[in-house]
Amino acid sequence: MKKVFCGLLALAILAGCGPKEKVARIAVALPLTGDIAALGQGLKRACTLALEESAQNRHSTGFRVEIKTFDDRSDPKEAVDVANRIVSDASVVAVIGHFNSGCSLPASLVYARHHLAMISPAASNPKLTLQQLDPSWRYPKTIFRVNTTDDIQGSYAGEFAVKTLKARRACIIHDKTAYGQGVAEEFRKRLEALGGTALSFDGVNVADKDFNALLTRLHELHPQMIYFGGDYAGGGLIVRQARGVGEKAPMVLSEANFDPEFLRVAGAAAEGCYVTFLGSPTSLLPSARRFVDAYRARYPGVEVKAYDGYGYEAMAIVLSLIEKVGPDRVKILAALPSVAYQGVLGETRFDQKGDTLNHRITLFQVKDGQFQPVK
Amino acid sequence: MILQQLVNGLTLGSLYALIALGYTMVYGVLLMINFAHSEIFMSGAFISLLVYQRLIPWLSPSEAWLVAIVLAFGGSALLALVVERFAYRPLRRSSRLTPLISAIGVSILLQNAGFLFISDQSLAYPQVFEIRHYQWGGVEINSLQILILVVSLGLMGILHLFVNRTRLGTAIRATAQDSTTASLMGIPVNGIIALTFLLGGALGGVAGALNGLYYGSIKYNMGFIPGIKAFTAAVLGGIGNIPGAMWGGIILGVLESLAAGLIPNGSEWKDVIAFSILILILLFRPEGLFGRHVPEKL
Amino acid sequence: MNRYGRHGAWAASLSFFLIIPFFLDGSRFAYLIRLGGIAGLYMLLALGLNLVVGFVGLLDLGFMAFYAIGAYTAALLAIMKMPFWVCAAAAMVVAMAARLAVGFPALRLRGDYLAIVTLGFGEVVRLIFTNWDALTNGPKGLPRVGESIPPISLFGFTFTSNLHYYYLIAVCVLAAAWVCYRLDHSRLGRAWVAIREDEIAAELMGVDVTKQKLVAFGISALFAGLAGAIFVHWENFVTPESFTFWESALLVCAVVLGGMGSVSGVMLGAFCIVAVPEFLRDLLGKSFADARYLLFGLSLILIAIYRPQGLVPSRRRSLELHPAEPEENAPSTLFDVEGK
Repeated sequence: MKKVFCGLLALAILAGCGPKEKVARIAVALPLTGDIAALGQGLKRACTLALEESAQNRHSTGFRVEIKTFDDRSDPKEAVDVANRIVSDASVVAVIGHFNSGCSLPASLVYARHHLAMISPAASNPKLTLQQLDPSWRYPKTIFRVNTTDDIQGSYAGEFAVKTLKARRACIIHDKTAYGQGVAEEFRKRLEALGGTALSFDGVNVADKDFNALLTRLHELHPQMIYFGGDYAGGGLIVRQARGVGEKAPMVLSEANFDPEFLRVAGAAAEGCYVTFLGSPTSLLPSARRFVDAYRARYPGVEVKAYDGYGYEAMAIVLSLIEKVGPDRVKILAALPSVAYQGVLGETRFDQKGDTLNHRITLFQVKDGQFQPVK
Repeated sequence: MILQQLVNGLTLGSLYALIALGYTMVYGVLLMINFAHSEIFMSGAFISLLVYQRLIPWLSPSEAWLVAIVLAFGGSALLALVVERFAYRPLRRSSRLTPLISAIGVSILLQNAGFLFISDQSLAYPQVFEIRHYQWGGVEINSLQILILVVSLGLMGILHLFVNRTRLGTAIRATAQDSTTASLMGIPVNGIIALTFLLGGALGGVAGALNGLYYGSIKYNMGFIPGIKAFTAAVLGGIGNIPGAMWGGIILGVLESLAAGLIPNGSEWKDVIAFSILILILLFRPEGLFGRHVPEKL
Repeated sequence: MNRYGRHGAWAASLSFFLIIPFFLDGSRFAYLIRLGGIAGLYMLLALGLNLVVGFVGLLDLGFMAFYAIGAYTAALLAIMKMPFWVCAAAAMVVAMAARLAVGFPALRLRGDYLAIVTLGFGEVVRLIFTNWDALTNGPKGLPRVGESIPPISLFGFTFTSNLHYYYLIAVCVLAAAWVCYRLDHSRLGRAWVAIREDEIAAELMGVDVTKQKLVAFGISALFAGLAGAIFVHWENFVTPESFTFWESALLVCAVVLGGMGSVSGVMLGAFCIVAVPEFLRDLLGKSFADARYLLFGLSLILIAIYRPQGLVPSRRRSLELHPAEPEENAPSTLFDVEGK
């Protein structure tokens, strides 16, 4: 037991010995293994791309910026372990992460305690940043995010359902995760506020594959549309099986389904489905177009995943701050609230909570097996 | 509506039953919960997909899939055999818990092997056949569901006949009843145990391939939930009892479908219902619905 | 190892683990303190599970359920601003009550069936915590927006840093280990071992088997409840995701790996379960970090085959005169519908 421990120590010490040049590290804490590793790996690629691009543009400033990746396996306990590793490394100037709200929430407290800025590229539970406004919050404001929250996305979809689809009778399904249930609840709120009715509100278990029974029941309710909040693993199967039981109502899905994997899993059934997505369509925003091209050139044969743009954006923001105020935790933290960054998602500025003010949402529809922006 | 849900449940249940057979047979001869069986199921799905993708340039989709499912049958059986030989056989004489640890180890190992060497993402499983829908009096059944029912019920029937009507089957039954006496009677007990793993693995592999075809996507961790459900089914029918496993699977599938299909919010509670049934059955009728009560041997 | 060797090893590792973290605090290795604390919580859980699995010989595959019950009980009370000792006591009592409620009807089942009942119960508890939104806030976890769990405050001292929690956990682990050690050498412990070795003989010798099993069940849940209460105060957050079946299975691995029935063994086992994947992560470097769970699975198999008695076998078990005999196959009902 002691051997193991000593080995660990020795190893850690060895790992710490490096070249003398001053190094500023940006910690990237994502699920790199485990169930949703594919999304984490995509974000990691996007962050790396952002760093490489800036390193190409940047003139010598006497220090080197590095990415240090950490794996939280999308497990809240490991996320806190990882957060503790990150804060004990003094060369880390900011954190990009975590992916899930479930991991971000407990980890955010560790970063706050150590006054280290954290920018989440994906966690969408409103509570994550709201907790900073609580009177009992004893730390500086350290939590920021570049993605929108569940409430904005869910209510956008609700508005779309009632106003554009003219659908007042909706069935709602969510995947019983903090994210999926969160958006679905917001969708229902907005739908009902606009005079619609939620015919049903069902959760499904995350690893479940058979939704035929549920969808057969929903089919009998004759909904005018179906909303799904959750990720593509459930979304793809639900769309496929809904068409299988003969349900023809339009379907709207939350942004985690804006992923090539959704198209793969749903197959032909995906045709006509709507997916909400933060930011402007890449075809309208030159910077986004450029990002996608650069990504494809850097990683040939790899698809751009749903959240990669956010990861790229978060990284770019941190890099721009390092450029401006230098590689310093405290200065970066101080500069973050006043950031105004023009990037792949459009303009990112943070509100009082630390959430992005970029509430622009684009609706995509699947046409000919591709996501096409609507309007 | 209820009839429609029965069709859904029967399809799901026959898949559970195919997997449950593997658990029940191994438990029957070794009194051991083979946790790695859910990964055998996963391997069947992957083998069939990989074979299918290789063959598709040369064969028509249905031919390619036919070869693929036969190879999934064989490949999973082989994998089960390897697992038995290297992870379980050395532990034949140790205490009850040790093989369980080994089984958990195998399960983690295989799952991560799939993750590392095949894919960390869901893979789309091709739609091999044109799906036709048939309607009888408001109940709709599609060709895929019919295929699954025919294949799984057919395989279960064959297994049943094999175990009850052949010499090898008799040897399996003898080993299950009393391995020591069986070996005294000249039955090669090790071979028979391997045969049980082989049969269970083959059926699990086919279930995996059918599962892929039915749901259209497979992933390295797809075995866990069906594995636990199938195990529940095996217990429900009386673990160690082949017809029991079939009935257990079908009953569980139908119950789940009815729960998810008739109760609002039933889809999130259906697993609770499944596991509660498991607990209640064990508490009040541990021999299962179809088992015979066996007093514990002293 | 002789008696002195054992005591020496205990004293050496004890002082090592109590002194080192003090120096790590504030250094770049400070995260090891957190890791050590988590390992400590797993030790607490493993010691509890060991009472049932190691001493009485009953397999439990859903032990995390009681950890979850403890954590949620403590979280709900802490949100109401109850002091820590109230939360912890309530967590222990509720966990124990739940344990006895399941245990009482389940105890007449034979080994494997009991294992499956516990597995099912573990899943049911996790799913209830996931689905019962009104009480537990479902998958979004506790505390809700606007609520918070205050840090532990004992005798006027507030626990704020990882180091504080580390020492709190260390004290609990030592106390638990001492309780287990005393139990092992008490009448109760001997009764448990008697049940494990031969339940019927034990009953004939006047051991009240059901009562003794229930006592073991109850005490084990106390450990889990306490661990849950500490965990939730330390983490300030709890979701049902933390209590999956795999966690329970790993805990059983920890007990078997360390050596069933051996107090120091299961502590070592729990330490390995937490530390080895981390260690492999560092050892293998980034590109092979994925492979660490593969190697973990492989090592479980190898240990089961080559060292089934565990890393630190229980002395009493190794003194048992008979080597592990192959268990007689109980008559099975396999294939009996026809032909009988």
